[in-house]
Amino acid sequence: MDVVILFSMVIGLMLIGVPIAVSLGFSSIIFLLVLSDTSLASIAQSFFQAMAGHYTLLAIPFFILASSFMSTGGVAQRIIRFSIAIVGHFPGGLAIAGVFACMLFAALSGSSPATVVAIGSIVIAGMRQVGYTKDFAAGVIANAGTLGILIPPSIVMVVYASATDVSVGRMFLAGVIPGLMAGTMLMLTIYVIAKMRDLPKGEWRGWSEVAEAGGDALWGLLLIVIILGGIYSGWFTPTEAAAVAAVYAFVIANFVYRDMGPLAGRNGEANKPLWRKPIALITAFFHRDTKMTLLEAGKLTITLMFIIANALILKHVLTDEQIPQQIAGAMLEAGFGPITFLIIVNVILLIGGQFMEPSGLLVIVAPLVFPIALELGIDPIHLGIIMVVNMEIGMITPPVGLNLFVTSGVAGMPMMRVVKAALPFLAVLFVFLIMVTYIPKISTVLPDAVMGPQINCDRGVPTNKLEAAFCEARATQ
Amino acid sequence: MSTPTVSNSMLGQFVNELEETFIALILGLMTVITFAAAFVRYVFNSDWWRAFEGVIGIEAPRTVIWGLEATSFLFAWLVLFGVSYAVKTTANLGVDAVTNAMSPEIRKILALIACAVCIAYAFLLLKGAWDYWANFANLPQTTGRWFPTGLEEMKRTSYRSWYEVNDIRIPEWMRFIEPWMNEGEAYEKIPRFIPYVILPFGAALLLFRFVQATIRIWRGEAESLIVSHEAEDAVEDVAHMNKD
Repeated sequence: MDVVILFSMVIGLMLIGVPIAVSLGFSSIIFLLVLSDTSLASIAQSFFQAMAGHYTLLAIPFFILASSFMSTGGVAQRIIRFSIAIVGHFPGGLAIAGVFACMLFAALSGSSPATVVAIGSIVIAGMRQVGYTKDFAAGVIANAGTLGILIPPSIVMVVYASATDVSVGRMFLAGVIPGLMAGTMLMLTIYVIAKMRDLPKGEWRGWSEVAEAGGDALWGLLLIVIILGGIYSGWFTPTEAAAVAAVYAFVIANFVYRDMGPLAGRNGEANKPLWRKPIALITAFFHRDTKMTLLEAGKLTITLMFIIANALILKHVLTDEQIPQQIAGAMLEAGFGPITFLIIVNVILLIGGQFMEPSGLLVIVAPLVFPIALELGIDPIHLGIIMVVNMEIGMITPPVGLNLFVTSGVAGMPMMRVVKAALPFLAVLFVFLIMVTYIPKISTVLPDAVMGPQINCDRGVPTNKLEAAFCEARATQ
Repeated sequence: MSTPTVSNSMLGQFVNELEETFIALILGLMTVITFAAAFVRYVFNSDWWRAFEGVIGIEAPRTVIWGLEATSFLFAWLVLFGVSYAVKTTANLGVDAVTNAMSPEIRKILALIACAVCIAYAFLLLKGAWDYWANFANLPQTTGRWFPTGLEEMKRTSYRSWYEVNDIRIPEWMRFIEPWMNEGEAYEKIPRFIPYVILPFGAALLLFRFVQATIRIWRGEAESLIVSHEAEDAVEDVAHMNKD
């Protein structure tokens, strides 16, 4: 009963326009003060510890910073050019290239709305020029943009890993196959539609264009290699890898691409080479562009962490009151199996994902469903991917998906037209969701092969109570 | 939609510049420290570097022990200092699907209710933050569970300024605080009241900014406390590209 009041309060406050963070924090504080003997001082302490005590979450500001340096307009342009060079000559080529560019950019930025803005604004305009309808273009981009949170490195995955104490490295690996799969499914759909409707195709510019465009985009794409390679070779922790990536992105943006910082050409001039202005090696650190990028990244970090810190207070309430265990018990007693449970998770997240920023939603829902999932024998990494894919689709599910809003803004189209335009591809992603939910192997095969399973039941019964319950459930299945 | 809320006065401009610089600086420092710690671990411990050291006759540090703790505290400072800036610039994420469907009058009433909740929240956080920090600075906590009803009587255990952090050594220039805070005894690491001071400071700023935001909404200068997603400004920037 308490939990119903708590969540109604959180949702109620959110709907009248209270910031998500405050809705979570305020409700939790009221609950703690009424129901337990927790003092305000210890709540303030846990607020401070949300940042100072979570090493994993420390990766978030660095990932955001790396992507801020990378997502200057220049990188998006280069990725699009590279995508067109590779797949532009197929029927529906520019649309397929749009999806491909979204996948690449998603890996750099880790945020879905940001992907739609950066890639969508350019690709939609380009598609219309060569004769696609605006609706088709917007539908493609709205859907492909959601890949931002699924393809690693992804901020949402860091948040999940931190909220549930699973490994960030495994989550990133788990996202690779589903991410590629979703992208491929979208591209195939476009190909089929293009064949049927005889959509325009571009011309094949030859391997030299592929090499040239690829070489240009390579510096940006190397960022992914640094992050993933650094983590899996064991060189860096995810947090360090993110910081190294941020420094790398700073160097590339300022000294290689030179679209920002002291070497950028103002008012249409060409960007200067470093040897013409070597002092830039020093001034780049203090340049206005550097400061603005740091500020933008800082601001985004602050708003996300404000939500996460308050959601951690809510998590504190939930664990104190043993709420997940109660729900799990009730569900098991009612004879619900893993499948029914996953359907419920699907529905909750699809609805929640429409309204809310994904990492915030995740911190709230994860502590609730994670213990239940383990008791039902669902792999924690698999659960993470299910949650990410669900939120991804929530963002483009009518009536109010977040990505629909962003696309309608970027494409200058009314909401209802975007909804209609996105529907055929949304259907594809729904099929994808069902596959990911009910075929755990898609998510777990890669991390299990590279790093071993998150919870290893073969090495005897784990000491952690939840993990023991997981192994027990696995054994009876 | 986010609205520019930076005041045009000299003071407003100055404070804004100060806030932005501070946020950028903290994030920059965090990145540099974490990067440097990883760099030191690999480069300064490598064989070729040691050989090089032999040649030039210096010895570089092998680890940056204080790096992690310093970065963690800076992270807390970034967020706790920055939330008030996020309120000022209307950057906090929220849900506007329902409020957007209402008439302007109802929307304003709902926004004012939301403001009241935010002010109450910031107030509770401020009380908690003060209570947590006060003893570390040899100051009295407030009494009362919800509202501060007075100040506690200082007991022997209420003087906790001798608590130190784990890894960060105190720089020499900071030793002037020892006579005031630690009865003249030397600190080895920096005392805890220094990193924790951001709690009451940040919470107080947050309360102040929420009150300001409330006044803005009351006067009709702003519509709400929230934006629905982080890319809202960026969308406006590119919207012209696909206008019909």
